[in-house]
Amino acid sequence: MEEIVLDVPVQPPTELFLPVPKKFLEDAYKGDDYLVLVGPQHPGSGHMRIILRIKGDVIVEAIPDPGYVHRSMEKLAETRLYIQNIPLFERPAIMDTGNVTLGYVRAMEKALDVEVPERAKYIRVILAELSRIGTHLYDAGILAVFLGHTTGFMWPFALREPIVEAITRISGARITSSFIIPGGIRRDVPWNVLEFVRKTTFVLERRLKSFEKIFIKNPTVIERLKEVGVLSREEAIRFGLVGPFLRASGVEYDLRAVEPYEVYDSLNWEIPVSDEGDSYSRFLVRVEEISQSISIIRQAVNELRRIPEGKVISEDILQEYAEVASADIRGFFFRVFGELTLPLGEFTSLTEASRGTLLYSIISDGESNVPYRARVITPGWYYLKGFMEALRGERLADLQAIYGSFGYFPPEADR
Amino acid sequence: MNVNGLSGLNELLNELLSLLSMQHFLQNQVSIPLIQPIIDLLLSMPFVGYLVALILWKPMFALLIFPGLGTLMAVLLFIIWFERKLTARIQWRKGPVEILRQAGGVIQALADGMRYFFQEVIVHRDAHKPYFLQFPILIFIPVLLPLLFIPAGSIVGIESPYSLAIAVALISLIPVFIVAIGWASNSRYAYIGTIREAFMYFAYEIPFILAVISMILLYGTADMVEIVEKQNIPGIFLNPVAAFIFFLTTVMATSRLPFEIPEADQEIAFGPFVEYSGIMFGLVMTITYEKMYILALLMSVLFLGGGNGPDIPLLGNLSGVLWLFVKAMAIMVLLSFLRSIYARLRLDQALRLSWNTLMKISLLSLAIGIVANIAFGLGW
Repeated sequence: MEEIVLDVPVQPPTELFLPVPKKFLEDAYKGDDYLVLVGPQHPGSGHMRIILRIKGDVIVEAIPDPGYVHRSMEKLAETRLYIQNIPLFERPAIMDTGNVTLGYVRAMEKALDVEVPERAKYIRVILAELSRIGTHLYDAGILAVFLGHTTGFMWPFALREPIVEAITRISGARITSSFIIPGGIRRDVPWNVLEFVRKTTFVLERRLKSFEKIFIKNPTVIERLKEVGVLSREEAIRFGLVGPFLRASGVEYDLRAVEPYEVYDSLNWEIPVSDEGDSYSRFLVRVEEISQSISIIRQAVNELRRIPEGKVISEDILQEYAEVASADIRGFFFRVFGELTLPLGEFTSLTEASRGTLLYSIISDGESNVPYRARVITPGWYYLKGFMEALRGERLADLQAIYGSFGYFPPEADR
Repeated sequence: MNVNGLSGLNELLNELLSLLSMQHFLQNQVSIPLIQPIIDLLLSMPFVGYLVALILWKPMFALLIFPGLGTLMAVLLFIIWFERKLTARIQWRKGPVEILRQAGGVIQALADGMRYFFQEVIVHRDAHKPYFLQFPILIFIPVLLPLLFIPAGSIVGIESPYSLAIAVALISLIPVFIVAIGWASNSRYAYIGTIREAFMYFAYEIPFILAVISMILLYGTADMVEIVEKQNIPGIFLNPVAAFIFFLTTVMATSRLPFEIPEADQEIAFGPFVEYSGIMFGLVMTITYEKMYILALLMSVLFLGGGNGPDIPLLGNLSGVLWLFVKAMAIMVLLSFLRSIYARLRLDQALRLSWNTLMKISLLSLAIGIVANIAFGLGW
């Protein structure tokens, strides 16, 4: 067979192209304003370009240019088995493994209409809250280094280590655990591991106190974050903020309380809310959420004491393997899930991930074992608009403070 | 040319030769009883003797050994390593350890410097090439010259009744060079960094100079040798307000946290130095450390009694050197601590602090200086 050669030379762009209206650039050059391109290879931008128009030291306008780490996850998902998509969808926010997999799995469970065993539900909550603490600590570290506070960067990263260890003991993987599967979790968690998780929360609590002294209550940090990037309650709703950032502006909205999933309605916890809506309150709300998560984990471990071990995967999913695999899916994984097919229809789940609302929508044609269409909207994408609006009118040096206060994570937003 | 003129030239030549003679150097020699036998042995050798006499000649010793080039290099090596190690300890890390493991990685900065030497120095298209390459080297003039005026016991490079004023004037030149570096770089971030540097320069320079003037008023002289002699009580107790301002403005002048505003690497990627690479980056990176060394020396002279301290007979003249060194190092170690404690302030916050609070307190320190001069009878 003759080989067909495609001989079309690639012509890379010769000049820098900016995806903004031409008038925007011309106005900036004519007037006193000047343009500053922050990113994508900037120590304080992440994989995103922010096009800033600056007058003196004040940001007049901020336009984001995201997409530098876009991996077309939604399209990739159409070529993979339903079960293979769990590790795929974990990739956008690997620190937040518990929550992102939980969202996708819950959309599938909605379609399959399976009831998850209670023990599995509690362990899922523990995993989700551990990931939440881990993500909040990660964001606190990034905020600290953006403010030039390197100790505030190193300590949360060291504090993540016990969490990573706990996730390792539960699932066997440090970061990307892929532990939550349709109908339950991969395998039961023994008692000594749960006890380790409970002890970990005490370690965290003690260490967080010293972190509070060096960073959270540090006068220079308060000076930098207070009354910076303020979004009022109305603005926060209008710009579609989600999660802790919406709650920092005084809106008491948490999907775990509004549409309780798993066992969140049977546990005692509060929604931390702040009225200021500035960068510091956005940070404090997440700090407070860490202590709420610690309390949730302790309650869940206590509840698990009374639930007997041995059944963590739903029988509706396992069917003929129900007897051998209900406590441990190992050895039966692809026999159970390989030919998994979702019924015809569109299935949506909303999850409260660490950084806010996480939406999964799966459209199934009812016969193939891959999704017809999958849609993921991550919290980062939701609050990008609010983030850019918060920058307007602030000083150039505040860009990093506001960036850190939002914990914006480009891989998560770009998917 | 008549005979008289020729003999005049001869006299001049003889005088010049006598200035360069070994005897002239030996008259004003650094005496170190501890290693005197070795020095005597070396002095008796034909050529080496002359070199040793030259190095031990007090002004040359100040230039080459202490507080000059040799100590400056050693301090640079040490303080960069120490700062990294200290920060690492606070942050639950180990810090540099691989290079010279036996000594805990103490020559890490030297290894980094060698690496810089073999890296390419990139001069980007938009830069003003001659200035871009000149200024990082020229900046050593205002960095090294003030060292000559700082007295370490009896060892001093140049004695002058205006030595303090000259040193401060030379130190004030450093930011001008940094602004010039930023201008030659001709890039957006360098431009922002340069403007920040200029703003900070004006903000700290006035309280800094007022604090120095208050000490001149206090001691009644601008000669650093006399200032050290007059300090039976260290200056920090005579005028603590001026000491506080001097310390704070040192933090600002050397771009330490929380005033690391012109260089803010997360905000503007090292500001004026953003375009440098290779050994040029190595040179500009050490500027703030060198400035820190000079200001620490100046602070120990003004406020901590310079080379004053219990005399150690074995060290001879080096006794004063040792005390000055210990005091300066203590200040530098204190400055190193700030890195791991504070976050970076914003430019406008730092400006408000210095133009408002610091300015008021520095005026107060002037008054304290005059009052203390009269009260302690330090005279003019």
